[in-house]
Amino acid sequence: MEQILANGIYLGAQYAMIALGLTLIFALMNVLNFAHGQMYVLGGFVTYTFYGQLGLPFVLALTMSCVTLAVVGALIEKFLFGPVIRRSAREESTMLLAAGLAFFFDAVILLVFGEKQRGVPKIVDGVFNWDFRVIMPYDRILICVLAILSIVAFILFMQYSKTGRALRALAQDRTAAQLMGVNVERYSMIGFALGAMLAGLVGGLLVTITGINLGMGGPTSIKAFMMVMIGGAGVISGAIAGGIILGFMEAIGLAVLSQYGDITYLMIFVSLMIFLAIRPQGLMGKPWG
Amino acid sequence: MLKLTMGQWIGLGVFLAAIFIAVPALIAASGRTDFYFTLTSVALLSIASAGVWLMFYIGRINIGQGAFALIGAYVSAILVTKAGMSFWLTLPIAGLFAAFVAVLIGLPILRLRGVYFAMISLVLTQVVTLTALALPITNGAKGITSIPLPGAISIFGLTLVPDFASMENSRLAFYYTACFLMVLTFAAMYRLVNSRLGHICRSMQQNEELAASIGINIAYIRIVVFAISSFFGGIGGAMFGSIAQSVYPSTFVVTDSVNFMLNCFLGGLGYVFGPMLGTLVLYFGWDLLFESGKYQLLIYSSLLIAAMLVLPNGLLSLRLDMFRRSGK
Amino acid sequence: MKRRTLVKASLAAAVVATMQAGAAWAQNPVLKIGFVGVTSGPAAAWGISNQRSMETRAAWINEAGGYTIGGTTYDIEIVSFDDQKDPKRAIAGMEKMANEGIHYVVGPNVDDGAAAVRPVAEANGIMYFPYAFPKALYTAPASNAVLGMVANYQSGPAIYKYLKDEKGVKSVAFVAANESDPLSQRDGGVAAAEALGLEVVSSNVTYQVDTTDFTPVLTPVMRTRPDLLVLSGVSPANAPQLIRSARELGFQGIISTETAQDATVLSEGAGDLANGFISVGGASTPEIASDMMNEFVDRYTKMFGEYNDESNTKVYALEYILETIKANPAAIDDVEVFKTTMDSFEAPNPYMKGGAVLKYVGSSSFGQKRQVAVPLVVNVFQDGKFETLFVAEVD
Repeated sequence: MEQILANGIYLGAQYAMIALGLTLIFALMNVLNFAHGQMYVLGGFVTYTFYGQLGLPFVLALTMSCVTLAVVGALIEKFLFGPVIRRSAREESTMLLAAGLAFFFDAVILLVFGEKQRGVPKIVDGVFNWDFRVIMPYDRILICVLAILSIVAFILFMQYSKTGRALRALAQDRTAAQLMGVNVERYSMIGFALGAMLAGLVGGLLVTITGINLGMGGPTSIKAFMMVMIGGAGVISGAIAGGIILGFMEAIGLAVLSQYGDITYLMIFVSLMIFLAIRPQGLMGKPWG
Repeated sequence: MLKLTMGQWIGLGVFLAAIFIAVPALIAASGRTDFYFTLTSVALLSIASAGVWLMFYIGRINIGQGAFALIGAYVSAILVTKAGMSFWLTLPIAGLFAAFVAVLIGLPILRLRGVYFAMISLVLTQVVTLTALALPITNGAKGITSIPLPGAISIFGLTLVPDFASMENSRLAFYYTACFLMVLTFAAMYRLVNSRLGHICRSMQQNEELAASIGINIAYIRIVVFAISSFFGGIGGAMFGSIAQSVYPSTFVVTDSVNFMLNCFLGGLGYVFGPMLGTLVLYFGWDLLFESGKYQLLIYSSLLIAAMLVLPNGLLSLRLDMFRRSGK
Repeated sequence: MKRRTLVKASLAAAVVATMQAGAAWAQNPVLKIGFVGVTSGPAAAWGISNQRSMETRAAWINEAGGYTIGGTTYDIEIVSFDDQKDPKRAIAGMEKMANEGIHYVVGPNVDDGAAAVRPVAEANGIMYFPYAFPKALYTAPASNAVLGMVANYQSGPAIYKYLKDEKGVKSVAFVAANESDPLSQRDGGVAAAEALGLEVVSSNVTYQVDTTDFTPVLTPVMRTRPDLLVLSGVSPANAPQLIRSARELGFQGIISTETAQDATVLSEGAGDLANGFISVGGASTPEIASDMMNEFVDRYTKMFGEYNDESNTKVYALEYILETIKANPAAIDDVEVFKTTMDSFEAPNPYMKGGAVLKYVGSSSFGQKRQVAVPLVVNVFQDGKFETLFVAEVD
């Protein structure tokens, strides 16, 4: 039981961070970013290069991941999503762009970083073992704490900084925010960069535990979509709730249903569909997102 | 009966002549027999994409068409291998079964809109894949293999369609079958879009509440459209199973569902023939880039992004005004 | 603007590369050998190690002046098609090979692709060498597929028997990804273990291919306290994480798999925790690698920057194709001749020390000789590299 709880918290924290970036971008631009998982992978590879290959300190490598992804995110918004959103008749058209970007990142990652699974040296050694009731390696505990701290920092930033307030205003009502004097184009770019940066941050954190390979992108995006659906699209607290719920569902399902074989995910998917049929806007979402 | 203008009749004639006469002739002349399968794939995938396009028409982003294609493939494969039915009989059954599943699933989830529907439909493909892995009737992970080729159809001793297995080369037969089905599908789509149902769909796409307020049973229409959409998916999937003579849980995956949606976007959401063009460009484009080796995906994705920047409303938005009759 | 320049640049690069390739092969007649497999996307590692082995060997042959078959010296050209792990694309790839006039193709890499290309291969007279294990592909009436490696139902029993006799293993647990290939391999492994009289304590735990945290997956397995944990059909990407999670959960027993792995990936992903991990390899461990194998590894590394140990098992298919055609030159465009030659074909194995031979086997598994005989080299991972545990033969 304690182990399930520990696994749930660990999974939930990392999932919540992945979902945060996705939901932020969605809230600001109404873009369903299929390339989010690929951005996460890119972040992992940047940390791998600086920390694993060049031997720089982990914190520096992590910072490089964040910076790289923030720049990439800003450029993507400015030169790709921005213009397409302005000119397309239906805003869903950005899905094609996002999917194209996902393919593009896949191709670039394959060419630059290769096809192999990559890993970095452990940041902390040792395993926390409480009488075989809770077993958790120290590096996981550290990453879990770091993830929670980042989430808290992000919430504080969104609540109290000027940028954060502008972003929230933008997410709530684009036109009203514009009328109130918010520079929409500038903050869209900042928001996208921030969302991408979060993906890079998770990638950099998790590479120390799971390693990274170019196949992780697509499935990560889909998982992030599920979390966002559970919590409600475009709502920050919803993304966090969705991440934690999915983390716990996995931890509990894998522990309880293991003897039945392959049905944990089937159960998760089916219960998700039932849940959404009852509550279409997710836990905390506005009706019709 | 629909009234087509003179120009449209000519266009239709040219199109039919192109796919049924010119393409086989060109392939025979150039010796590129591999294009038969590529074009067969395009035809079948565009049938499934047409279903997705129809969902767009009522304002739903369907990223779950792979699920129905997989269902269709399995239904046909199971009926052919276990019940010994003729493939031609299983083809409509596969479509109908997919439509039936769509009705069951659609009742709850069609209430969702926008990205919510998109995301839940994305999960559908995985649900079907996982179910196929877990069920005994689908033969689980081992898949269904060695499915016999489609047999002959004869009425009163007159052979309408010869036995595929006895043919020198079944590629051409599959090509004709796929094109025939594609023409039927798009004719039905065109008819539907220009019917009363089409007008209702357009009004739902713009505003469901408004449509409901003028007495349209939107829940019913949504289910009907979703069922038609899934019927197309099931047909496309069943044909593929018969060409590959095998079906696996991985025959249609999330990537396929996403591709069906992309085909519609690329072709243009406002045009009935958008999905056909989109499928042709996306699928054939990948094949043509075969020469570029390891840069294939890079070039492919770059072109896709570029296309989006230049023509954010789809390739067909380039068309001349005189052809812009269908769609909105 | 930037993107367009990039597109232009990559197009130009591709064109130049193609032209250079054409120029280099201008002197001799060209013998084309195909490859249909996955070289992009999540499973890229499988196909890329395959394709690169073939390209390395082809470049080597061409550099040495070509390959002589029946008095004519050919340059070898590898024609690769990326099927994106999609069975529908794999069919298109096989059609392309038929169109190029190719009769010998390596791949596809997975079960569904291998099954899907069968009609095309049989209709067009193509022999293909899949890396997929379903017996139906190789058993009559199927006759055009040749298994390109040792199947798990052949290596599994050998490994379990060794561990039972030498290490006193009594109970075994299996975990597999929830996907066709690994699940089939798990079922084969369970049958093999039971036949040997081992106690199978857990065999129904599976994980999603995209799992990033294996601790919850493995926790119930660990509770059954097996002596041996088998990672059925594990992909090289997941192996280090599974090993790490199992060890961190306090697992003391032996971990093994029946697929090929990469030493660098294991040491990066699991470090010392991977010590003692048993996998199936080719012939690149120092004890058995011939000079030719070592040179192959050098050339591969030079060409592509980094070697992949999975290629050890993938170097053989091309060698088999060429050697068999050399043994009976009429087979160059007639696979029926190839098939009859297969029954009696035998040649020395250039990649291995000692008297190993290349020959076709599989009579006991498939009722016909539809498998290449590669040495079943069982490796154990130790401090960043593989050591040979034992070598066995498959009949």
